[in-house]
Amino acid sequence: MTATPSHLDLLEAESIHIFREAAAQFRKPVMLYSIGKDSTVLLHLARKAFFPQAVPFPLLHVDTTWKFRDMIAFRDRMARELGLDLIVYTNHDGIARGINPIDHAPSIHTDVLKTQALKQALDKYGFDAAFGGARRDEEASRAKERVFSFRAPGHRWDPRKQRPEMWHLLNGRLGTGETVRVFPMSNWTEKDVWRYILREKLEVVPLYFAAERPTIVRNGQILMQDDERLQPRDGEKVEMRKIRFRTLGDYPLTAAVESDAETIEAVVAETLNAQTSERQGRLIDHDQAGAMEKKKQEGYF
Amino acid sequence: MSVHALHKIQAAHEAAPRLEVVPNLVRELGGITHLLTCGSVDDGKSTLIGRLLWDASDLYEDQRETVRKSGRKAAGTDLPDFSMLLDGLVAEREQGITIDIAWKYFDTPTRRFVIIDSPGHEQYTRNMASGASHADVAIVLVDARGGVKKQTKRHAAILDLVGVKHVILAVNKMDLVGWSEDVFRKIEADFRTLCWKFNFWDATAIPLSAVFGDNVTAPSSNMSWYAGPTLIQHLEKTPSRVSEAGSVFRFPVQAVLRDGRDFRGLAGTVTSGSVKVGDVVVDALSNASGKVVRIATMDGDLQRASAGQAVALQLDVDVDVSRGAVLSTREMCPVAAQTLEARFVWLSEDPFSPTAGYLLRTSTDLVPISNIEIKGLLDLETMASRAARNCGVNDIAIAKISLGRAAAIDVFAETPETGTLLLVDSITGATIAGGVATSVTAKAEEPAEGHFVLKRDVLANGLNRDLSMSPKDRQEFMRRANEVAIILRAAGVAVAIEPPPPVDDGMDPGL
Repeated sequence: MTATPSHLDLLEAESIHIFREAAAQFRKPVMLYSIGKDSTVLLHLARKAFFPQAVPFPLLHVDTTWKFRDMIAFRDRMARELGLDLIVYTNHDGIARGINPIDHAPSIHTDVLKTQALKQALDKYGFDAAFGGARRDEEASRAKERVFSFRAPGHRWDPRKQRPEMWHLLNGRLGTGETVRVFPMSNWTEKDVWRYILREKLEVVPLYFAAERPTIVRNGQILMQDDERLQPRDGEKVEMRKIRFRTLGDYPLTAAVESDAETIEAVVAETLNAQTSERQGRLIDHDQAGAMEKKKQEGYF
Repeated sequence: MSVHALHKIQAAHEAAPRLEVVPNLVRELGGITHLLTCGSVDDGKSTLIGRLLWDASDLYEDQRETVRKSGRKAAGTDLPDFSMLLDGLVAEREQGITIDIAWKYFDTPTRRFVIIDSPGHEQYTRNMASGASHADVAIVLVDARGGVKKQTKRHAAILDLVGVKHVILAVNKMDLVGWSEDVFRKIEADFRTLCWKFNFWDATAIPLSAVFGDNVTAPSSNMSWYAGPTLIQHLEKTPSRVSEAGSVFRFPVQAVLRDGRDFRGLAGTVTSGSVKVGDVVVDALSNASGKVVRIATMDGDLQRASAGQAVALQLDVDVDVSRGAVLSTREMCPVAAQTLEARFVWLSEDPFSPTAGYLLRTSTDLVPISNIEIKGLLDLETMASRAARNCGVNDIAIAKISLGRAAAIDVFAETPETGTLLLVDSITGATIAGGVATSVTAKAEEPAEGHFVLKRDVLANGLNRDLSMSPKDRQEFMRRANEVAIILRAAGVAVAIEPPPPVDDGMDPGL
């Protein structure tokens, strides 16, 4: 750190403070690891927070079985190289029921294979705290999220039970059956994440860099054919395009952008000058905003 | 409106400034300023924040496009409705979260700004106090037609209570008073008078129009009589709390780190002052001390760590120091407090209960409370306290607390970073109240007498007689008083600094 700390120095120190507060106050924490750029930064911050000690909690990846193959390879290599305690959990019951992101609405797929799977995994291992990489700048509904976000028994988020947070005091005392989600990167922005990756020379999944990849254009969005499960429909065809991803998730639900940014420097330059916010690339959000609400009202769930 | 003004508005509208391509990719901004906005919707708060985002920030083009395409106009004008940029946040208000604070981020070429938005409607005390506790600077918004009101006084009192030192009075809607200097000067004078009551280091009034953008980011040609800074100029100059942290070294220990070999490090963030290799540090609770032999980070060892830096300190001896300790120098250590008095903002819907079983959360300690009494309630308009035994949501309570065991606590006015507190419900874990320590004593029973008070008039006539009433000198006044108190306390004298008296500011109490 230089004499006058930069905004990245300050954000890093704040995140380290949050990691340490949570690790000290909760009995059995876990870090949610989704392999993307935010998780990469989160993991790096966790390592800094406890250096020279090893990260004192396991990582949990909720695998929907629909992640890009490059992501899984990256995940396994990172766990090996950094000596991490990695837990991979899949909702096999949901898979057996045939839930998938191609035939089902993204919201259903997400609910069963991500949300339900996460709750199952947290219950199975008895974790009382889960670190996540969510940021308040991601969307309006996150703008009011706490650093310590409390969940009632059954993982229910009760707005009346959210605790005010004052100064740097993080109150982690749990009521009976309560658990907590901890967001050390609450105050980071998308641009900070990329700047930090560049500054700290962090390795990220190659999908963030432009390359010729097999694609299908569907509903105006560019999808990558990562394996044979995604097939062109009538009028669609598989074409090679030079694409990259601004955000990573399940491959049939993640839109690519055409880009020539092949290096981390080019990606950062493109991001800093971007004219659209990153969530535009997530099909799942578009689906959820209206459709999910409607399904709820119809009593679908 | 003059032709001139229309012209300017047109130009601003067409050429919304945008950040240029960044030459240096790892462009690290010069710091972070947390900005609280206080005021009601009627004062034009959303429009002002929207205008700041529009004119000064790195807003994404899709967000700008949404505003342009909507066709929504600011009332009575042909200008885009900038308050739309806050819409997402406003809608979320309906969620019913107990304490509502929305966070929004934007960058200017030199700084990161974090807008902390707390609702200005009724029952706002706890929301505002909670938001203000994170703020480096607060914008208090008033309508030029109404001027300083009762609510403005309450806002200032809450800001002062939680330690905000920089306050801007944004006198909005100057267009509706014909850009009148007289109107502004009157409001500015009222504001000055009001601020004498508080410990602000810098209180500045700026005449502006959020709708038209005058003095927000561009100097106003409608108010050529105003020679001061624009809002954004002033904000960019405002230092953050961490950069203004005092010189007294404090290091609340969060955890003990071990590498499985010979490293045993005390993990924490320096909250004020600094520490360097070779310094002897003390834990006021156990009286244990040791010399710092290593300041470890993953990026390499440091020779010195300053306020805001998160590090791990290795000492030359294996002292029994763990989470809850606050490391300091031997000369200026926090009090190993057994009893204390504090001012609390009551956050919980549940009223005070003497038998509830509260815990006291300090920097990193959680201590059982053996006895807690409410002594009085603070009136935010007069700053006078009245006796009370009970309190409830949105009250400012003066409480006297005896602890089950000692905890390292500072007086907030002197060392704010380690003088903040939370009351925690031991059963539910809920945060009941947030507060600041006003006096702390190591003795189990506070002596009724023997509490030495540093009187303001004594200080003014002696030690501080070279000082004027300017904001800079008032800051210096407090700095000197704090230093004297710290020295006296180190010598074992229980001491308090007389709070600023309620000043008869000549304002109509019915305002």
